[in-house]
Amino acid sequence: MHEMSLVQGLFEQLKGLAAENNSTKVLSVTMEIGPICGVVVDSFQFGFEILSSQEEMFKNTELIIEIPEVTYTCTSCGHQEVSAGERPDACAKCDEFFLTPSGGDDLILKRVEME
Amino acid sequence: MCDSCGCPSPSHTHDHDHSHDHDHSSKTVDVHASLFAANDAMAKANRDHFDELGAVALNLISSPGSGKTTLLEHTIEALKGEIKIGVIEGDPETDRDAERIRAKGVPVVQLTTGGACHLDAAMTHKGFHLLEKEPGYEPVDLLFIENVGNLVCPASFDLGEHERVVLVSVPEGPDKPAKYPRTFGTAHTFLITKTDLLPYFDFPVEEARGEALKTNPNLKVMELSSTTGDGFDAWLDYLRAMVKAKKAA
Ligand SMILES: Nc1nc2c(ncn2[C@@H]2O[C@H](COP(=O)(O)OP(=O)(O)OP(=O)(O)O)[C@@H](O)[C@H]2O)c(=O)[nH]1
Ligand SMILES: [Zn+2]
Ligand SMILES: [Zn+2]
Ligand SMILES: [Zn+2]
Repeated sequence: MHEMSLVQGLFEQLKGLAAENNSTKVLSVTMEIGPICGVVVDSFQFGFEILSSQEEMFKNTELIIEIPEVTYTCTSCGHQEVSAGERPDACAKCDEFFLTPSGGDDLILKRVEME
Repeated sequence: MCDSCGCPSPSHTHDHDHSHDHDHSSKTVDVHASLFAANDAMAKANRDHFDELGAVALNLISSPGSGKTTLLEHTIEALKGEIKIGVIEGDPETDRDAERIRAKGVPVVQLTTGGACHLDAAMTHKGFHLLEKEPGYEPVDLLFIENVGNLVCPASFDLGEHERVVLVSVPEGPDKPAKYPRTFGTAHTFLITKTDLLPYFDFPVEEARGEALKTNPNLKVMELSSTTGDGFDAWLDYLRAMVKAKKAA
């Protein structure tokens, strides 16, 4: 459950942002969770629920999650496949196994709405 | 918790297509910052520090019990008098692994993570400075960081290592690369350990190798047994080559 420690870090960052903007309440947080960033969306949500219920500032914070797509490029024919879910097993054009992913490997705090 | 939209409330389900009428004092800030940024910055600082000292750092990742500590014991034994080795041990509890390494006569620091499932760059930073304070410490050529036994979480945290080594032991089965593509995708080296057990387990080595290369075509794959010493030469040469390249840099 490293998701919990990531959420902890997120809340520290949010508190800093709230202080900078003289806000006392965080309304919504938009996160981009890459499908290959090593973070389980359910675990992240779970950690967010647990920790947000413990602080006044985050009591009613809405967590909005966006899942970006990953582009897989075939190392043999260059064919590209875009997926926001499962990694393709092989190239759809030539059956090559070696596909290089690009994108979708980061966990990004995109936007915060405060008051 | 609502699966479809990520709405954090366990009780209410509503769709998010409606516009949100928050009052006018609300303010939206575009942040666009990676949550890994803080760890990555610390990892870079660690790597720079290791570079300055001319030390190679390796991050060992595996499931519990795949043979990391045993591999280190035999490696230290084999390279004694040739390469100066230091070890940082990450374990959820106890310092048994550290005691085993200490018995081999090299500096070692135990980081107990208090149940946490991975090491991060800040812990590694602290660990390295503790290592430097060990009695009789001399600058190391090669630093092993034995991560917490777990194939998932450690993959997301750069520690400042130069190479990441993933271990899978024969009794665990050949399908680990397919199940943990992120871990194998970020690794440099894949070690199949406990090969002395191949006669007793269904572990098609070529299949495991192929699956691993599928997730990461650049992976160096090696097979070895700490018990019999089979395959150790290639492993030791790999370590020697890295240390030599670092000294030349
Ligand atoms: N047959 C065989 N057993 C081995 C080999 N290497 C290690 N073992 C055994 O596997 C068990 C676990 O080995 P460790 O070296 O403690 O494994 P580890 O990865 O350090 O374990 P954790 O730190 O708990 O994750 C021990 O009983 C070792 O004796 C090997 O090459 N062959
Ligand atoms: Zn974890
Ligand atoms: Zn192709
Ligand atoms: Zn161990």
